[in-house]
Amino acid sequence: MTQQMTAQQSKVEQLLDNMEKVMVGNREAIELSLLALLAEGHVLLEDVPGVGKTMLVRALAKSFDLEFKRIQFTPDLLPSDVTGVSIYNQKEMNFEFRPGPILGNIVLADEINRTSPKTQSALLESMEERNITVDGTTMELKRPFFVMATQNPIEYEGTYPLPEAQLDRFLLKLSLGYPTKDEEIQMLDRTSSVHPIDRLDAVMQKEDLIQLQEEVKDVYVSDAIKKYIVYIVNGTRTHPLLELGASPRASISMMKAAKAYAFIQKRDYVLPDDIKHLTSHVLGHRVIISSEAKFEGKTPASILNDIVKKTIVPIERG
Amino acid sequence: MRDVKKENQIISLVLYFGGLILLLEWIYPLAQVTDTGHTSAFFLYIILCFILSASYLPWWIVSPLKFLGMLFVLHQIFFNEPFLSREWFAQLFADIQVNLSAVFSQDWFQLSSSFRTFLFLILLWMMSYLLYYWFAVRKKPFSFTLFTFIYLTVLDTFTTFDATNAILRAFVIGVALLGIAHLQHMVEKEKLRTPPMKTLVKWVAPLLVVIGFSTVIGYAAPKYDPIWPDPVPFLQSAAENGIGGEGPGGSVQKIGYGENDQRLGGGFVMDDTTVFYAQAPKSQYWKVETKDTYTGKGWVRSDEGEFTNSSGDVHGLQEYRDIVELNEDQAHIQFEEPGLLNKLVYMYGTEQILSNQDNMTVNYNTATGEVFSIVDDENRLPDEYQLEVLRPFYPINEMRKITGGQNQDHLADYLQLPDTLPDRVVNLAEEVVADEDNRYDKAKAIEDYFTREGFRYETQDVPVPDDDEDYVDQFLFESQVGYCDNFSTSMVVMLRAIDIPARWVKGFTGGERVVGEDMFEGSQPEYEIQNNNAHSWVEVYFPNVGWVPFEPTVGFSNPSNFVSGEDINDILEREQDYQTPEPTEQPDLQEEDSDDSEDEEENQAGAFFSLSNPTKYLLIGVAVVLLGLIFWLVMKKRYAILGKWKKKQMAHNRDVATFTDGYQFILKLLANQGLALEEGQTLNEYAQKVDRWYGHSDMSALTRYYERTVYRDEPLDRNHHEIYRLWNRVVENLLG
Repeated sequence: MTQQMTAQQSKVEQLLDNMEKVMVGNREAIELSLLALLAEGHVLLEDVPGVGKTMLVRALAKSFDLEFKRIQFTPDLLPSDVTGVSIYNQKEMNFEFRPGPILGNIVLADEINRTSPKTQSALLESMEERNITVDGTTMELKRPFFVMATQNPIEYEGTYPLPEAQLDRFLLKLSLGYPTKDEEIQMLDRTSSVHPIDRLDAVMQKEDLIQLQEEVKDVYVSDAIKKYIVYIVNGTRTHPLLELGASPRASISMMKAAKAYAFIQKRDYVLPDDIKHLTSHVLGHRVIISSEAKFEGKTPASILNDIVKKTIVPIERG
Repeated sequence: MRDVKKENQIISLVLYFGGLILLLEWIYPLAQVTDTGHTSAFFLYIILCFILSASYLPWWIVSPLKFLGMLFVLHQIFFNEPFLSREWFAQLFADIQVNLSAVFSQDWFQLSSSFRTFLFLILLWMMSYLLYYWFAVRKKPFSFTLFTFIYLTVLDTFTTFDATNAILRAFVIGVALLGIAHLQHMVEKEKLRTPPMKTLVKWVAPLLVVIGFSTVIGYAAPKYDPIWPDPVPFLQSAAENGIGGEGPGGSVQKIGYGENDQRLGGGFVMDDTTVFYAQAPKSQYWKVETKDTYTGKGWVRSDEGEFTNSSGDVHGLQEYRDIVELNEDQAHIQFEEPGLLNKLVYMYGTEQILSNQDNMTVNYNTATGEVFSIVDDENRLPDEYQLEVLRPFYPINEMRKITGGQNQDHLADYLQLPDTLPDRVVNLAEEVVADEDNRYDKAKAIEDYFTREGFRYETQDVPVPDDDEDYVDQFLFESQVGYCDNFSTSMVVMLRAIDIPARWVKGFTGGERVVGEDMFEGSQPEYEIQNNNAHSWVEVYFPNVGWVPFEPTVGFSNPSNFVSGEDINDILEREQDYQTPEPTEQPDLQEEDSDDSEDEEENQAGAFFSLSNPTKYLLIGVAVVLLGLIFWLVMKKRYAILGKWKKKQMAHNRDVATFTDGYQFILKLLANQGLALEEGQTLNEYAQKVDRWYGHSDMSALTRYYERTVYRDEPLDRNHHEIYRLWNRVVENLLG
C-alpha cells in the first residue's frame, strides 16, 4: 500500500505543480480544492470577482482531463437550465434529452446566490444525491462529479442567500483573496502572450482520479483523531458566540476532508495538525455567529480558531 | 567573525575581572576574622593568577609562572635567605619534609604556617582557574555571586567583621556581572550576531544605571531594626555565661549555672538544655562550689582558698568527723554539653574522682569546694568521670548537742555579714530561733521559717533590689517571693546573724530520672540534669560533724540523709526498695514519682542566670539547612534519577505504553524547563518549537514516531532501535 501510495502521491504533487502554473501563489487554495475533489466533496468559493475562481476550476478540470461545465446563475435561471430538458425531435419522432450543465464532471456554479431558491435547490440536491430526475427519469450523474460554487461576499440587490441546510452540503468554503504585488506582476508576465491555461496539459486521466478517490478512503483515522474531531465540533455547539454550531454531518465532512488532506501530505494516517488546519475551512460556513460576535468584529474563522486553541489535542492512544 | 570573537573575549574578560573582585572580597575579611596576616600578598598573588589566566598564554607558560609567583609570595613572608638561592631551597625542602611527615601522620597541628600558606596559595590558584572557567568560559557568575553574598552575610552576622561596604560592593559587581552574562547568554542562545561595541554599551549603560539607582535607594532607604539580637554579642555573652561570669544588672535571664553572683535578683526564663547525665544511688545534690561573703547584693569570695592537685583523690573536700556514718557508693557523670560548666560536679562525700582519660588530674579547693579537672595541662572537663563516694548520714542527735559557746575564730569568714545589713534581719533571726536551744534546731527553725510564713516560689516577677536595698532584707520583709537564691541567701544571712557559721552552696538538684536509656552500665538509677536544675542551698557547720546541707527553698526538699539513732542499714534498705520497687507497689510509687517530678518541674527554677542555648538553635538551623539541601538535591536530581529508570525501561520494553510513558517523560522535562505543551498545541507543532529552541531536530523525529504509534496505531518493533536512540538523545540533551 505504501509504495503504491507513494507513486500516486507523487502524481498529486505533479498535479499541484501543474495547477500552480495557472494559479500563481495560491498553493493552499489549489490544495484545498484538490482535497475536496479527492474527498468527493464540493467547494464553495466566496470571493470578489476577478481573482481567478474560474481559472482554478478550469485548471483542475484540464489537469485531470475532465469535462468542464459552467452555469452562470441569474435570477431568471430555471431548474431545467441546470439539469437539462427533453426536447421533441421531430425527425426522430421522440423526446430527446438535452443534458444540462450539471452533467459535466466539473461544474462551476457561478454566483449561486443570485438565482432563485428553487434553482439553487435543484443544484444542491443533485450535488448531494448524485443523480437527477428529469421528466420522471432518473439519471446518474457522471463520476467524478465536483461542483465549485462561487458567491459574492458583497451583498447585491436581489440576491438569495443560501440557507444553512444547503451550505452544509459543501465540504469546504474557500476564498482566494487578492494576490500579492509580486504574484500579480508574475501573473501579468505569464499571461502577456498566451494564457497558461491554454497550454496546460492533463497530468492524470479520469480513471486515475477515481482510483485516487478510492485510496483516500483508505487513509487511517485513529480513535484519538476521531475524538479530537468530535471535541472541536462539540466546541462549536457550546461556544457562547456561536448561534448555531456544527452538525454531525460536519464531523463526517471533517473526517473526509482530513483523510484527503493527509493523503495530499503524503501520509496514510490523519494527524491532529490536519484537523487543526482544516477546521476553519470545513466548519466556517456551517456555523452562525451571534450578532454580539458580529458586533465585536469576530468572524466564524476567528471564533473557530479560538475553539481549536482551547481544545486539548489527544496525545495518547485510544 | 574575527571581531565577534574579539568582542566575546572582551565580555569574558569583563566577567572575569568581576570574578576577581568578588574573590578579593573573600580574602579581605580574613585579616580581621582570622589570624591571617599579609593579606596584601594574597591579593597580589590572586591578581597575578588572574592576569596570567586571562592572558591566553599556553598553559606551559602560565603554570610555571603561577608557581614561581607562589614561591615568591612564600619567600616574602617566611624566608630570609636570598630568593632561589641554595640555602633558600634547602630551607624550603626541609620545611616541606617536616610538613609532609606531619600530613602523613595526620598531625594537623604540627603543620607550619608556611606550609598552610602554601596550601592556601594553591587554593587561590585553583580558585583563579575555577573562576576563569565559571566566568570567562561558561559565563555563569550566579553561583559564585550568591556564595559571596552568603559568605559576607555570615561573616557580618557571626563575626565582628562589618560587611556593610563589602556587601554593597559585592552587590554592585555581582548584579552587573549577572546582567552582562545574561546579555551574553541571550546573544548566544538566540544565535544573534554579537552586537557591535556601541550597542553593547547601550545595553550595559541602563543596566548600570538601574544598579546604581537601586544601590542608592537600598543604601539610603530606612530599614527596620533587626528583630533578633545581634548574634555576636548574644553568642559571646551566652558563651561567657557558660564558663565565665554574668554581668550585673540584667533583669530577666535564662536559668542555668553561672559564676557571677555579685548581684542577685530578677526573673528568668526556663532553659531545658541538658547539662549532664548522672548515675547515682539516689537523687541528691550535685555540688559545684561554695561562696562565703555576702555583700548585701549577692555573693563573692573573700577566701579563694588553695588548690591541691591530685590524681583523683579529693578526700580533703569534705572531711566528716568519725561520728558521721558513711556508706560506700559510686556515681557516674557524663557531660552532655561541655562548655556549660568549667568545674566538675560531685556528690557529698566524694573521695575519688576517676576518669578513663589517663592524663587527667584534679585541682580541688577545700575552701571553696571547687574541683577543676586538668587534661593535658589544660583546664578541660572530661566527657565522663566516676565518683567514689562515702555518702554521709548526718546524725541528728549529735548535731543537737551543739548549743553554742565554741571557739569559732577559724570560721570567721562564715560568720561575715555586711555592715549595711538592716537590724531587722538580725532581729527576725533571733525571733525565729527564740524557742530553740541547739544549733540543729535553730537551723531547722530558720529552714522551715519560709514555708511556715507562706513565702512564695516565683521565677518571673522577682525584683532586683535597688542600690540602697539589701537583697535579703528586701526578700524577707518586702517581696517575700523569690527563688532558691533568695531563700538560701536569706537563710545563710539569718544563721550568721545568730552566730551560726554557714555558707552558700551552688550546684544542681538531683535532676529528672531517666528510665530506659541505659547510658551507663550497672543498675543504679540514671538522671538527666538540665540547666533548669541549677540550684543554690545552704551548708551549716557543726563542729563534731562538718558542713551539713540544708534546703530552705519552698517546694524543694533536702535530699541528704539524716539519722537520729536509727540504723543506717535500715535507711539503706529503704532506699533500695525505692529504687527497685516490687511490681505490686508500682502504682503507689509511680504516684510518688510523678509527685516528685512535679516538684522537680516546679523547682526547675533554681536560680542561676545565664546561659542561653545557642548551640541548640544552631543545630536546628543546620538541620533545617541540611534537610532543605537534601530536598533541593532530590528535587534537582529527580529527573536525572527518573531519566535513568525510564531509559532502562525504554531499552527493554517495546510496547506502546512504555513509549508513551517515555515520551511523556520528555514532555515533563520540557515543561520543567519552561517549554510546556500548550493547550491546543499539536505534538508536531510542539516538537518543532522545541527543536527550534534547542537547535536540533531530534524531537521532531522522535515525535514522528510517536505520532505513528498514536495516530497510526502502528506497532513499534521495527523502529524500536531508532526510537530508543532518538529518545535517549533528547533526554540526554535535556538533562544536560
